[in-house]
Amino acid sequence: MAKTYDYLFKLLLIGDSGVGKTCVLFRFSEDAFNTTFISTIGIDFKIRTIDLDGKKIKLQIWDTAGQERFRTITTAYYRGAMGIMLVYDITNEKSFENIKNWIRNIEENASADVEKMLLGNKCELEEKRQVSRERGEQLAIEYGIKFIETSAKASIRVEEAFFTLARDIKTKMEKKLKEASNPPKGGHQLRASEPQKKPTSWLSRCTLL
Amino acid sequence: MPDCSEYYQTEISEGRNKRVIKCKFCSSVILTPSSASFTRLEVRKYICLNLIIFHVTMYEPVIIIYKLPHIRQTKGSESDPETEDIIHFWAVEDMMTFYNVGFSNTVGNTKYLTCADCEAGPIGYHDIPSKMSYVALSRVLHSNSTEKN
Ligand SMILES: Nc1nc2c(ncn2[C@@H]2O[C@H](COP(=O)(O)OP(=O)(O)O)[C@@H](O)[C@H]2O)c(=O)[nH]1
Ligand SMILES: [Mg+2]
Ligand SMILES: [Zn+2]
Repeated sequence: MAKTYDYLFKLLLIGDSGVGKTCVLFRFSEDAFNTTFISTIGIDFKIRTIDLDGKKIKLQIWDTAGQERFRTITTAYYRGAMGIMLVYDITNEKSFENIKNWIRNIEENASADVEKMLLGNKCELEEKRQVSRERGEQLAIEYGIKFIETSAKASIRVEEAFFTLARDIKTKMEKKLKEASNPPKGGHQLRASEPQKKPTSWLSRCTLL
Repeated sequence: MPDCSEYYQTEISEGRNKRVIKCKFCSSVILTPSSASFTRLEVRKYICLNLIIFHVTMYEPVIIIYKLPHIRQTKGSESDPETEDIIHFWAVEDMMTFYNVGFSNTVGNTKYLTCADCEAGPIGYHDIPSKMSYVALSRVLHSNSTEKN
């Protein structure tokens, strides 16, 4: 059968335990008397199809099985990943400080050109906030990645975050494909590296609530 | 076990799904038209009956039906889930054919399939050794429109 999509991207969520990674991806529901069969077993990954500029993109999104508690995210989990959501909790300073360690872990284990994005989750808990939005923005600029504040609980900008990451991977990929089909002529041995992204225009949309 | 193949005939065109397959609960699109093949899953096992007086051997067919756990379970039944016998499935060869779907953690040789949006499930199962996925016709909606409504 013919392929029904143009691109396939594998995405991961990384960050301290408790920041809300599983909630960003899944929404288990239970009541007092019944449990759903699925919530008992847990979900491993999801396949989603999105439409970006007329192209069908398949996203395969993986959650950790809680290994992050022991800081044992290994090369196996990162294998084949093209995009990583780095998640911290805006009400937990430590989870924000640890983003640097997670970035180091990614550099050691994931493919070098993996696209990253920073998520400040639980943004509906304004009264408990410990990490200002400006600090989130600043850290993202430092690493040349995009930043967005989300709330998995209140369903704020979660979908937008995945679209943004997918669009960035697609752009990068199309650029590579284009370069591969028109190799630079003589003289240019090395390809220009990716220009640093300016997240300004995009950040202006990230005004909170 | 009622055989509903006749009712399902209208959903099949050249052995494949004629219409969009959606979640019953939230209308999330699971499979687009013509992306899965209709399968009547019955594994026949033959029990050997030696009828010695006639000097013949007869084989008695026994149909094994897939036991798919119910979506809702009463608390406490986790280790021994209540199941439903299902034989009509949409078979999907490549998991990437799914438009939207969730895969549960592994249980034995199986990963259960769920809606990617509301996580209702199991709507079917994925058989790890054969890499085939099966969506139960009775656990999904067949619809003409791809719109979520
Ligand atoms: N208030 C609030 N709580 C959240 C949000 N996202 C997750 N949580 C809660 O944070 C806790 C940890 O979430 P979980 O997804 O298991 O975190 P993980 O360890 O990163 O996978 C749970 O109690 C969630 O209900 C959010 O956006 N807002
Ligand atoms: Mg988790
Ligand atoms: Zn659903």
